[in-house]
Amino acid sequence: MNPATIALILVAAIILGTIVFALAGVHRLRMTPTEYMVGGRTFGALFLWLLMAGEIYTSFTFLGAAGWAYGKGAPAFYILCYGTIGYIVGYFLLPPIWRLGKERGYLTGPDFFVDRYQSRWLGGAIAILYFFLVVPYVTLQLTGLQVLLTLAGYGAFNATATVGIAFFAIALFVFSAGLRGTAWASVIKDILVLGGVIFVGIFLPIHFFGSPAAVLDKIIATNPKWLTLQPAGPFPPIWFVSTVILTGIAFFAGPANLPAVYSAKSENSVRLNTMFLPFYQLLLMLVFFAGFTALLVAPGLKGAAADQSFMIVVQKYYPAWVLGIIAGAGCLAALVPASALLLSAASMISKNVLGDLFNIATSDRSRTRATRAFILVIAAMSLAFWVFKRTTMVEMLLLYYNGIAQMLPGLVFGLVWPRVNATAIACGIAAGLLIAIYISYVANLPTWHGINTGLFALAVNVAVCAGITLCMKKPLLDGPQHSAEQKSLSIPGRRLPD
Amino acid sequence: MVLALIPALMLSVAVPLVNRIEPRIFGLPFILAWIVLWVLLTPAFMYCIYRLEGRS
Repeated sequence: MNPATIALILVAAIILGTIVFALAGVHRLRMTPTEYMVGGRTFGALFLWLLMAGEIYTSFTFLGAAGWAYGKGAPAFYILCYGTIGYIVGYFLLPPIWRLGKERGYLTGPDFFVDRYQSRWLGGAIAILYFFLVVPYVTLQLTGLQVLLTLAGYGAFNATATVGIAFFAIALFVFSAGLRGTAWASVIKDILVLGGVIFVGIFLPIHFFGSPAAVLDKIIATNPKWLTLQPAGPFPPIWFVSTVILTGIAFFAGPANLPAVYSAKSENSVRLNTMFLPFYQLLLMLVFFAGFTALLVAPGLKGAAADQSFMIVVQKYYPAWVLGIIAGAGCLAALVPASALLLSAASMISKNVLGDLFNIATSDRSRTRATRAFILVIAAMSLAFWVFKRTTMVEMLLLYYNGIAQMLPGLVFGLVWPRVNATAIACGIAAGLLIAIYISYVANLPTWHGINTGLFALAVNVAVCAGITLCMKKPLLDGPQHSAEQKSLSIPGRRLPD
Repeated sequence: MVLALIPALMLSVAVPLVNRIEPRIFGLPFILAWIVLWVLLTPAFMYCIYRLEGRS
């Protein structure tokens, strides 16, 4: 058999095996919206860990981290820092949100806004905004998938159709399995990715240079500036600090993160997860080693091709079955988070837009059905977007983080500052987004005087939000913690049988 | 809260201050060793906070 066939069969077997395994895990469950969207709020600490790690560490994390180590050097280290800071923020932010979610039956991220600010419009607007951020993020995973499939096929076939098939398979999978299915799929994904990262991060350096430290020696000898931040370069220290702060605090503001938090069985399993997820970050250091090794073994990849760095080394120097397994792990790292994103976006549209704003599909059965329909619609849209517009990926990712960061004042102020209301939050978000879009697209600057664009936009957002709050009269109706009597006012179909 | 700020600051604003290669620690350039050290210490800090919160 030729090597491309072996590698591709292995990739297909891994993807199908994972789907079958995860479907077995959700066999015979009744799919109420609570079960479907947030796993019935029954996930213990370990299962939650697998789901969160499954969502957070995507194909882009691994290919991109190696690609940055390969193409940019020390600026790549920011990836280690921001996730860890994200977990520290999450330790304080997530347990109170989980508690409210449990008490008041939240299913989606925007549900928090609807309930806390007593505004279905704010919730609907945020749902739509998230939706526009999810599509590019999913397409990013499709690009990762394409890179991996093309490599596994030894460049001999056109991966576009295969990407479509694999993505359609995963959309159908989450269509039937819901969030619990994604969590089961994460079990296999995490195990394979762990094995793959240890192989490329430890075994590759040992094979070619004797040890990871020897790789670093060699990098330092050939390019002494590669492993430190260069004040004169495109990624100066101020860029590093501001980017770490922005992406760190925005870490859990993504559309799929809050449903994962709601799925926890207890506050403590949320807390334990944010405490111990930093250990997972260390895998990324191994990915850097893989990227550095690739830089020495196969130099000369430019631009987006740098993302293929260590995979090209594996393809060139190892048998097809090794390539197949690693590419299969990588494909899962694209598909599992994509499934969570599809589910979260579809949940928001069916719950916060159709249900809360237009009063459509509010019964349990029709809500699950509407969510399922939207999964397929969003999957088809993402695929179409990807086919026609795949050149602007990096811009899209930047916009994604800059965008989700703008949700943060709403979450944090919502918990700690009773006076803040929907108008202030909405104006803050609008101001932040306009600034981010202006700097990135109209003024066309990569950063604002070296400071991360999103961080500057977030500062404007906070200032606008706080300014409006202080200027407005103290509202009569405060947040949920202050007005227990209006509990049943806002969200129809909220109290669901658990 | 104050305890949690320590690793957060060490991983953000302190990084430019350790922006150098020497001394190497286990072969890692100093900047990377510093980051890895604080990534490893973060769970320890969070565990302390967790215990302190539990008591109050």
